[in-house]
Amino acid sequence: MTQTFPIQAEGLVRTFGEVVAVNGVDLQVNAGEIFGFLGPNGAGKSTVVRMLCTLLRPTSGSARVAGFDVATEAAQVRRVIGVALQDAAIDPIMTGRELLDLQAVLHGIARADAHRKADELLERVGLSAAAERRVGTYSGGMRRRLDLALALIHEPEVLFLDEPTTGLDPTSRVALWEEVRRLNTDLGTTVLLTTQYLEEADQLADRIAIIDRGKIVTSGRPADLKAAVGTPTLGIDVAPGSVDAAKVVLANFGEERQVAKGLGIGLAAGAAGMADVIRALDVAGLTLEHLELTPPSLDDVFAAATGQRLEGAGAATSGPPAGRKGRRR
Amino acid sequence: MSTVVVTVREISLVAQTLALSARAIRNTLRQPQQWVPSFLFPLLLLAVNTSALGKVIRQQGVDSYLNFALATVIVQGILFAASNSGGDLAIDIQDGFFDRLVASPIARPAILLGRLSASLVLGVFQAAVIMIVLALFGARVAGGAPAIAVIALAAGLLAVGIGSISCAVAVRSGSSETVQAMTPLFTMFIFFSSAYFPKDNMVGWFRGIVGANPIDWTISAMRDLILDGFDTTSALKATVIPILVAVLGVTLATLAMSRRLRDIS
Repeated sequence: MTQTFPIQAEGLVRTFGEVVAVNGVDLQVNAGEIFGFLGPNGAGKSTVVRMLCTLLRPTSGSARVAGFDVATEAAQVRRVIGVALQDAAIDPIMTGRELLDLQAVLHGIARADAHRKADELLERVGLSAAAERRVGTYSGGMRRRLDLALALIHEPEVLFLDEPTTGLDPTSRVALWEEVRRLNTDLGTTVLLTTQYLEEADQLADRIAIIDRGKIVTSGRPADLKAAVGTPTLGIDVAPGSVDAAKVVLANFGEERQVAKGLGIGLAAGAAGMADVIRALDVAGLTLEHLELTPPSLDDVFAAATGQRLEGAGAATSGPPAGRKGRRR
Repeated sequence: MSTVVVTVREISLVAQTLALSARAIRNTLRQPQQWVPSFLFPLLLLAVNTSALGKVIRQQGVDSYLNFALATVIVQGILFAASNSGGDLAIDIQDGFFDRLVASPIARPAILLGRLSASLVLGVFQAAVIMIVLALFGARVAGGAPAIAVIALAAGLLAVGIGSISCAVAVRSGSSETVQAMTPLFTMFIFFSSAYFPKDNMVGWFRGIVGANPIDWTISAMRDLILDGFDTTSALKATVIPILVAVLGVTLATLAMSRRLRDIS
């Protein structure tokens, strides 16, 4: 008997004219799992999510959500998914409760149930006191939490969160992680979230897939992926005139790796090999300005899979979301 | 935490349309910048024209310039305000709220029907308020209650027509700026009409343009109901252009929406 996954995609492709945004994505997300889709801006994460949410027709390939085909059974898919898209698209003129009421009507929920469910969700996301306030007065974190509540009003089987914490301050980000974890534990909701933050994927996801230029380059449990990279990364800084000489010395201790600043290697002997490196640099007459040993991270996983670092790209885009064109209001 | 179990019923087009209509009306009323100008500018123009043209119009045998201009103020207000519907829809598209709707199991027609039913209600309401305000200053509708009802209905239908054209542009362009740029085009119809001055006194090419302006036909028919009393011909004339504009606009908006949703599953 074939196993049915809440989210399953095979050879998913989406092109926009000549641009191939998604290039043959295969995906299987298990029931009750938090699945992280990690990649830099423009990697194709949101395009995959939009196809799975029935907001975009795949150019080729197929996908099923909760057992329904996203292309031919889109109406059924929409009934069983909850969606919180990038930038928390919430009407700022309405109050939190009005938005929840509207979302309930859109999902055909009985009025009495809708009010009670709204109360429950507002309490869950800590917005009971702000329920009657217009959303335009909410902070970024409050808007995201309301967005999450809106996505949950009809008790979806599958929840899609597209970059749920982009633009949030660290405190709000951690609060939202806790909420996602809690609803996954309490309700058993299957969650697919996209993120460009390594820490978010590491903290939240049971499994992740790393996507780059429209293709999944690797996937698995974060711990397994990091273990597969194997060795810690040693990063060093030397004087500008000594870089070439240092590279020659470092080549004896492991393969070159990209680091945010200076030179880096995957230290083949692990942490125990650090002393040997320092001695060798000293013997070569090179003065160390900075030295740092970091255990394997998802950034190393990303670098090993793509040859690039995600961290720098993420930092460059971690400010507030690129403003949608100024809403009234 | 105990969990409230919800009962999901069949999706109702009527319930969804009413909910989206209520949202559109509520949001309009909560943004005075959307509706105040559509009352204020026509009334200010009326005040200016009453001083500048009142005597001339009275010399044409019209007892009251307010009565003469009542239809103008109503139609002008509708033309000022009606593109708000498309502007708000464009903002929904820009901000992603449209995606939220489309990703829900909403009956697709409800998206446009909600907007346009709100335009109808707001148009009727606006016409009623203007008639009440001008009545306070002495304006009278000779056709009585039937004429008032027809004028309000025509105003509502015109609001649907202009609103749906602006929605078509919104859906096609996804740009609120593009929709807002249309407002002067709509108001041009007022300037090439007998809105401020009787057509009988116009000459040459301008009179020709005014005679071919469908908005002028509506204003003239409404004016007949106000000045001369109720008759079926004037009532039909007052409503036929708004109905045709509404049919055209709804068709364009529906086609634009189908095109936008074509790339969505």
